[in-house]
Amino acid sequence: MSEEAKPAAAGKPRRGIGKSLLLTFPILLWSLLMFSRTLMQPGAARKIAALAALALMVTLFFLMVRTRQTFRWRRVFFVALGFLFPLGFIYELIALRGSMSIPVERMLAGDTPFCFLAIPMMILPAALTRTIIFPGSVLPTASNPHAVSLMVALWLGATLVLGKGWCAYGCFFGGLEEGFAAVARKARLRHISPRWRLVPWAVLVAIVLLSAAMFQPTYCAWLCPFKAVTEYPEVNSLETAVQTGIFLTLFLGLVVVLPVLTKKRTQCAFFCPFGAFQSLFNKINVFDIRIDRGRCGDCVSCQRSCPILALDKQSVEAGGTLLSCMRCGACVDVCHKDAAVWHIKGAPVNSAPEKARLMYLYAAWAFAVMFGGSIIANALEKVVGIFV
Amino acid sequence: MHLFAEAALLGLASGPGCLASCGPVLLPALAAQGKGLGGTAGLLSVFLSGRLAGYLSFSVLAWAAGLAAPADPRSRALLFGLVDLSLAAALVVYALAARRCPAAPAPSRLVSIEKRVRPWTPAALGLLTGLNICPPFVVAGARAAETRSLPAAAAFFLVFFVGTAIWSLPLVAVGGLRRLAGVAAVARITLLILAAWYAYLGIMALSWRFSHV
Repeated sequence: MSEEAKPAAAGKPRRGIGKSLLLTFPILLWSLLMFSRTLMQPGAARKIAALAALALMVTLFFLMVRTRQTFRWRRVFFVALGFLFPLGFIYELIALRGSMSIPVERMLAGDTPFCFLAIPMMILPAALTRTIIFPGSVLPTASNPHAVSLMVALWLGATLVLGKGWCAYGCFFGGLEEGFAAVARKARLRHISPRWRLVPWAVLVAIVLLSAAMFQPTYCAWLCPFKAVTEYPEVNSLETAVQTGIFLTLFLGLVVVLPVLTKKRTQCAFFCPFGAFQSLFNKINVFDIRIDRGRCGDCVSCQRSCPILALDKQSVEAGGTLLSCMRCGACVDVCHKDAAVWHIKGAPVNSAPEKARLMYLYAAWAFAVMFGGSIIANALEKVVGIFV
Repeated sequence: MHLFAEAALLGLASGPGCLASCGPVLLPALAAQGKGLGGTAGLLSVFLSGRLAGYLSFSVLAWAAGLAAPADPRSRALLFGLVDLSLAAALVVYALAARRCPAAPAPSRLVSIEKRVRPWTPAALGLLTGLNICPPFVVAGARAAETRSLPAAAAFFLVFFVGTAIWSLPLVAVGGLRRLAGVAAVARITLLILAAWYAYLGIMALSWRFSHV
């Protein structure tokens, strides 16, 4: 947890093993379905990796059900996803091109793998001119299987069901920060001005407007910290050197150093425009986290535990979170009075919070198995392939 | 008459492009002051007046120089490098000194500077965004350069401006966002990010100019 407060859920009675297994069964079936194709393909490394990923995902879900805790088990998956994604991705880039950098001619040929972070920038140009301003391909090709259409469809489906939960169960970049945030035992920087929470919205407005003006995804070209661990333009001019310098500085500052110092996901909380964009979908999501004011003792442990500062005094007094809540469950796990609860909109607060949690987790984990699980299996295959 | 109809059509047709080009500055500049619909309309009119001044000065340049100066890459780099740097400076002053933002009060020295230049800042932003070369602007400049007199060139640009400005009118709706908490502060931070962007563009343009003596 962000402040490593003792999880209150640890004091709750554990669910029985039989009932936990029964509740895990649907996820086991889903995972078998998702990994069945990989398990039937030839190659020992592939089979071992798929089995390991399957076992990891099912075991973590079982533990979430049995212990009634969400955050700590989700974090295991999420950090694994965050660190294994670049590993598998860089391996494929080097196998394909011999380098992490992408030459201009490959960009012009539409060979840039599509990343969901570009979605907010594409909307205005696509709506106004029916043009996709990303140098990738709309449909999968032999040289670029990461097509725009696949990722947009996946993102849209997940977003309608999970809202900003995408940032806690799907975003393969957030896991890196969550991993670095878990390194230190205590935060060295504790007092963070709430003003910084406005920056992602400002970056979002700036990049959307500049992308429409310049007809290029400006965030990808200039500001994405994760270019440092995925792929970046070939450094062959002053401009590309500046771009690479920005990528590296933002990555080291926001994804490595500040999460270690603050124990927060600083890039997500104070910079990521996609996270701000994704927050808007919480408005149409049926799940949310509520604070039962009748039970709340104003201990502020929920506020301290949130990795992205999505709770403050005003929001707690109003009985909920800020729009930026990503449903990671940290505040619920840490609340000793069971005041922070999972909730389905329209139902009374604290009516059946565990049922609401399980309903959300089924959806979130099904998506996590399909998307994150396959990424983990793919990266593990590369690692296992070294030995087998 | 035929010439003015051409100017109006050119302006209307290229309006979305002009809006996309000015949008990054115009939209946050309107939102940063936290004014209602009436106040935002006032700001927009001041901004557009500045833009008109930019258009007219460009028409004078186009008519007098027959587009020779802006067509030369080194002169163009110098002109737009200076324009981008001036725009960056104007954005910083405008963003840091905007008044209606209790979440992030402006430094007092900047507020006093802004008080002195307040009537001029939106106009300066309009003027500086008006001074740029986009394809329809070059076409307008070329047609203006062909006219026989300076008033005719200026009138051509005036009509062209009206055609493009119509597309900006829906932006008055930004005033409706005033009630949303944090909009003005977000707009101010956006302006600072854009200031960094235009400063970078200006520095790159000037460094190119002085490396090609």
